Amino acid sequence: MSGEGTVREIGHDEFDPKGTLALISVYFAILVVMWIFMYFVEFLGNEMTVIG
Amino acid sequence: MHIHDYEKIWLVLAMLLIVAIITTITYGATAAGIGMISDQEETIDSNALDEDERFAEPRVEQVGENEYEAYVIAQQFVFSPDPIEVPANSRVTFYITSPDVLHGFHVEGTNANTMVIPGEVSKLTVEPNEPGEYGIVCNEYCGSGHHTMEGLLIVHPEDEFELEGDSDE
Repeated sequence: MSGEGTVREIGHDEFDPKGTLALISVYFAILVVMWIFMYFVEFLGNEMTVIG
Repeated sequence: MHIHDYEKIWLVLAMLLIVAIITTITYGATAAGIGMISDQEETIDSNALDEDERFAEPRVEQVGENEYEAYVIAQQFVFSPDPIEVPANSRVTFYITSPDVLHGFHVEGTNANTMVIPGEVSKLTVEPNEPGEYGIVCNEYCGSGHHTMEGLLIVHPEDEFELEGDSDE
């Protein structure tokens, strides 16, 4: 896999996709916040919930 | 199989999210007491609602000290009774059915919401605490007049509530 333009080869564990990790962390945080807001604030906090 | 450390992180996070969501639902159903509209009610002949003691005359009835039952018919394109009147700080059980097609029953701005199915009785219990007027909308497309199908739920302050037909004073 070494082409002519290859400057440096690194192994599987040496490549750290920090940007991807950051992006996924942000998505994850958004999911968690939205879930907590939707369920605990919007849903449970709403009046007249079906109890039976 | 070799998995990169970062991949391990987001695999674990994704699993945790699933577990957390299931835990939340379990919490809601147990500790928070959120109920589901069940299908345990007996079926009913949708062509003979006038022969059913509950639905022949759609109404609100007092069944306990602070417990009420509302028998509601949703049909093209009205809810009856209209308005539905109940006192605040009570426990109200709605029994709702339809003589024609599928309808919805949603007390707007609240979590009281169910499908209304011909031949079935949707039963839901709520505790209205806040006096006021709540709009009821049909949220299942039921025909050409669907968008005009609305009802009214009036939650009266406890001391001002009197059932129709009651004349104690």
